[in-house]
Amino acid sequence: MIEMIKVSKIYPPDVTALSDVSLTIKRGEMFFVIGMSGAGKTTMLKLLCSMETPTNGLIEVAGQPIHTMKGSALALLRQKIGVAYQDFKLLDDRTTAENIAISMEVSYKKPDIIRKRVIDLLEQLDLADKHDTFTDELSRGEQQRVALARALANSPPLILVDEPTGNLDAITTERVMKLLNNYNNFGATVIIATHDGSIYRNTPHRVMELNKGRIHTIHGGE
Amino acid sequence: MNFWFTVLRQVGRNFRQTWASQLMTLLTVTLSVLIFAFFYLVYTNMLTIGDKLGDDLRLIVYLEEEPGPEMQQQLRRKITSFDEVEAIHFISKTEAYDRFSQQMSRNRDVLEDMPRDFLPASIEVVPLKTLRGLKQIKLFSDYLAKLPGTIKVQYGKDWIERFYSFTNLLSIVVFLSGSLLILTTVFMVAYTIRLTIIGRQAELELLKLVGATNNYIRTPFLLEGLAQGLLGSALGLLALYLLFDWIKGRFSGPGLFNLYEFTFLPAHTFSAIVLFSILLCTVGSFTSIQKHLRI
Repeated sequence: MIEMIKVSKIYPPDVTALSDVSLTIKRGEMFFVIGMSGAGKTTMLKLLCSMETPTNGLIEVAGQPIHTMKGSALALLRQKIGVAYQDFKLLDDRTTAENIAISMEVSYKKPDIIRKRVIDLLEQLDLADKHDTFTDELSRGEQQRVALARALANSPPLILVDEPTGNLDAITTERVMKLLNNYNNFGATVIIATHDGSIYRNTPHRVMELNKGRIHTIHGGE
Repeated sequence: MNFWFTVLRQVGRNFRQTWASQLMTLLTVTLSVLIFAFFYLVYTNMLTIGDKLGDDLRLIVYLEEEPGPEMQQQLRRKITSFDEVEAIHFISKTEAYDRFSQQMSRNRDVLEDMPRDFLPASIEVVPLKTLRGLKQIKLFSDYLAKLPGTIKVQYGKDWIERFYSFTNLLSIVVFLSGSLLILTTVFMVAYTIRLTIIGRQAELELLKLVGATNNYIRTPFLLEGLAQGLLGSALGLLALYLLFDWIKGRFSGPGLFNLYEFTFLPAHTFSAIVLFSILLCTVGSFTSIQKHLRI
């Protein structure tokens, strides 16, 4: 599903965010990226969805070199990648439902399908009563879940989640992780960047630790 | 959800979000179209009047003596050697007297003491309808003035010159108002689209990230420009029609409006102005997208 070969990212003037990262993530795998703040976790996710381009190296997603893609080819590939950003990227002047619907609208889903899917996701994330609430009126934890709902709305084969539980209590964290596990069980590749030890401590999946932009350790998995 | 449904929804959202600047742009486009179309309407009507005046154009060549049949043939040959003409009529002194007497109607008794040959003989030259330009008429008049035995040539020179100067001035005003239409329309639409793009920067960035195609992002802005052009020009032309109708109703009765039948813009000109406005607004929108939309 994902191939990264000797990928580096240097932000101007000379801030190295990632250095010589080589990695393969298989289709249907759940993969944790951990590390301290500034270790390069978010940069790695941004490179995987082509929000940033690497300074060096090759990145392939679903067999396609995403870092060189442009136009509609990149747009179509992005429709298959659900991303929950660390800064949420929610539109304040839209309701919760409208924010979630955006990712389905760009892939031209029918309005009644979008409506049903939004209600379903809001129920799964305990946000059913926030359907018509503007997102700037939500708490950080609620905003985080809306961002996650938007990432999952299209049921994409690749899900990238940046700090999914940073603002959540233990019960909601468990609910979110259960939802992500479900998607993974249905075949989606899920990559989670986190420094919340509670969600990866006893996981059977692979965990990669980044340190100053380099792979420090990879452990776990079969 | 199909492409056009989502795109139209986006256009509606843009209009709602930036309605004040959209309204200003619409007013500017409407006014520009109104100003341009007004002068164009006046210009085309003046050209029609010019054509009608041309139909009645006669050059009167006053002669020292009444020409005999042979000299009439010579003069006819000389006149037609300059250019083909519609007709040449020789007016004798007595014919001139009779015409003048008819024109005097009730006051013809003032002519009673005058001899019947006191008016000079003349030639009435009706030029071809192809002879339209003021320069050509002048050249023809100068040529006729040099014919042997000619006293002078008359064709309402001052009036025609003034009319042509007015038509020339109008053509300049039409050109200037056309330029104004182009500049204001393109710049105002580009400026409004720029405001919309800046106001929706976060949303556009998000749309890219969730996989919106370039067409999905661009088309609403292009449609916005198109709608501004369509609505603005339609309103401008509607306002012109109402103004035209009002003036016609208000100034009907004896006067210029009754001498000539003033007409509104024909359907093809009407459509051309609407299409041109749409094109200009879409160009304005497109340039703004190219400049400010980074996708």
